[in-house]
Amino acid sequence: MNALTPFLPTIAALVKIGLLVGGLMTAAAYLVLVERWMAAWVQDRKGPNRVGIPLTKISLFGLGQPLADGLKIIMKEDFTPRHVDKVLYTAAPLVILAASLAIFAAIPFGSVLPPLGIPGLPDPVPFLVAPGLDVGVLWVFALSSIAVYGVLLGGWASNNKYGFLGGLRSSAQLVAYEIPLGLGLLGVVLAAGSLKLDVIMNAQAESGVWYAFAQPLGFIVFLVASFAEAARLPFDLPEAEQELVGGYHTEYSGIKLLLFLVAEFLHMVTAAFLIVIMFLGGWHLWGVTGSSQEVTWLGAFLRFGVLSAKIFGVILFFMLVRWSWPRFRFDQLMNLAWKVMLPLGIANLVTVATIEEFRPQLIERFGAGPAGVIALVAPWAVFFLGWIAAGVLTPSGTDNTPIRTHTMLDAERSLREQDLVEV
Amino acid sequence: MTPLPFAPLSSGPLLAGAVLATVASLWLLLPNGRDTASIRWLGSLLGLAALAAFIAAGRRLGGLGEEAVFLIVSLVAVISAAATIVSRSPVYAAIWFALSLAGVAGVLLVLGAQFLGVATIVVYAGAILVMFLFVLMLAQPAGLAPYDRVSNEPFLSALAGAVLLGVLSLSIGRLSAGPATCCEPPSRTTASPSTATPSATTGEPAPAAGDTASGPAAGMTATAVDPLAENHVARLGGELFGRHLVAVEAAGVLLLVALIGAIAVVSRGEAALAGDTTTTRSAAGRSATR
Repeated sequence: MNALTPFLPTIAALVKIGLLVGGLMTAAAYLVLVERWMAAWVQDRKGPNRVGIPLTKISLFGLGQPLADGLKIIMKEDFTPRHVDKVLYTAAPLVILAASLAIFAAIPFGSVLPPLGIPGLPDPVPFLVAPGLDVGVLWVFALSSIAVYGVLLGGWASNNKYGFLGGLRSSAQLVAYEIPLGLGLLGVVLAAGSLKLDVIMNAQAESGVWYAFAQPLGFIVFLVASFAEAARLPFDLPEAEQELVGGYHTEYSGIKLLLFLVAEFLHMVTAAFLIVIMFLGGWHLWGVTGSSQEVTWLGAFLRFGVLSAKIFGVILFFMLVRWSWPRFRFDQLMNLAWKVMLPLGIANLVTVATIEEFRPQLIERFGAGPAGVIALVAPWAVFFLGWIAAGVLTPSGTDNTPIRTHTMLDAERSLREQDLVEV
Repeated sequence: MTPLPFAPLSSGPLLAGAVLATVASLWLLLPNGRDTASIRWLGSLLGLAALAAFIAAGRRLGGLGEEAVFLIVSLVAVISAAATIVSRSPVYAAIWFALSLAGVAGVLLVLGAQFLGVATIVVYAGAILVMFLFVLMLAQPAGLAPYDRVSNEPFLSALAGAVLLGVLSLSIGRLSAGPATCCEPPSRTTASPSTATPSATTGEPAPAAGDTASGPAAGMTATAVDPLAENHVARLGGELFGRHLVAVEAAGVLLLVALIGAIAVVSRGEAALAGDTTTTRSAAGRSATR
């Protein structure tokens, strides 16, 4: 026991990593099934419902489907085309999957366990792989920007026009939407006063006001930007099937393709985690989970369950949106990022900063209750103002008629003078 | 340069040998138009020898695990930095540079500078280098240009870099060998060496810092920067926006100027595209035609 004590934190971290990676991989497999069921439900047909226990006739609503799909894709030939850059072609899926998994080092997947009383372990044990990391939000940001490399390298190393175009589109999109993503995030960081995701959750649990209610504009901006970062349907230009075959993973097959697809799903799961943790209160639910740091075993698992349920709900929302919205065109995508989301994000940030700056004065003058109401009403006023402004000005609306420059007009005039065409 | 006396290993000759080996290895490895596989092998071996000498000349960190992690990430940083300058393909050079930045970020994380480590990845690897890659991939459809295949003044640049490296490591080694005067946490300066080592290895200096406040550095405990303390980012922010406020604001203004300049350049380019001789007329005409 004593000999083990110095290694206990390492062992605890390894156990958490094992649980997290195992859980995430299983979840990614079953989320594919859920996504297919959702597609079937939206399109009014029956989804995959045949595969059950192998070698029997029992079909558990198709719950065996992920296993069959996984086996099938692993058994496929791992074909490497001759014209690719072999090193980068192999490295790209590894980079993207490693980055997507390493993000979860800083993402809490529950609250805390009750004190175990084991010497050498911190009490209470947090549901977090790296509790000492003081820059959790930035870590998530850094690694999600590393994931761009997987896409870009995969597209370039494939030495294929579709793949390359997909990679370029994707990197432009990810770089553009990182800015509104960061602006949405900054409001929450400012309000909670910490970059640690578990502290952000605790702040929401203590006040009882989720940041989605306190910062509606930031929530919308973050939601849209995280759809774009995860390259989910309204923003799935990097792999638009009708235009680019498969985008950056056109040339991939077998297990390398599987790595890409799993990483894409993990991006969606990460986005759902972040949305729930930062804006929807994390494990907090009024009257169910409590808000103190002392928990019983039942409370700990209740909090874990609430967090998981919320994340599943957000993922279902992601999947429903996929079948509800048409894909953006590239100029619309960029206009939305730079002309709508960026100003709205800045408006949200300025509002939150102003409220946080003057909160003590407000409390001093009006008392705690009315000050809280003001701090809640002002962001909603800004939200509606921003909504109206975006609707009236339509900065992202595009005029599809061709722009006539002076040279074009001169050419038209000369043609008209020669009576060649009627314009 | 390679036969080094390994018995009495004083750091001076070791460092000199390491610098010489670095010069030779970089000179052999840098693309100069006449390289063969054997020359590259020789250069790599010399580079590894130089690395080993540098490691042997350096100071130990403390705990075995910390040492191992530090060695791994710093080797990644150094080797991929060397690969950045010797690789022939610009895209590969950019990738190696990204890996080197990841190694540097790892070093910073191991040493406790969490914010700096993560910011390195966000700013350099995540934004700037992606732009580089973007341009490189677009600009280089096939083959290598001649200026990619041969490097400019390989010997002089290798010499200058290695001498700089040697001088820096010598001076840093001298600085850190003596008793720390300014920036170390007080637990390490006031406590005797035998008790200081465990507190440094466990990575929890917070309790140790409290009971040694009566030492000679007691007056500095308030200002000493302990990287492993709680609320690292909050204290960093306080420092930045307190003592260094003017510098931060100046940097912000500089970036704003660059942003406005970029917008100005882009709008002038658009006006030129509109096809008229004077920019004002074309801009007015363009808005009128729309």
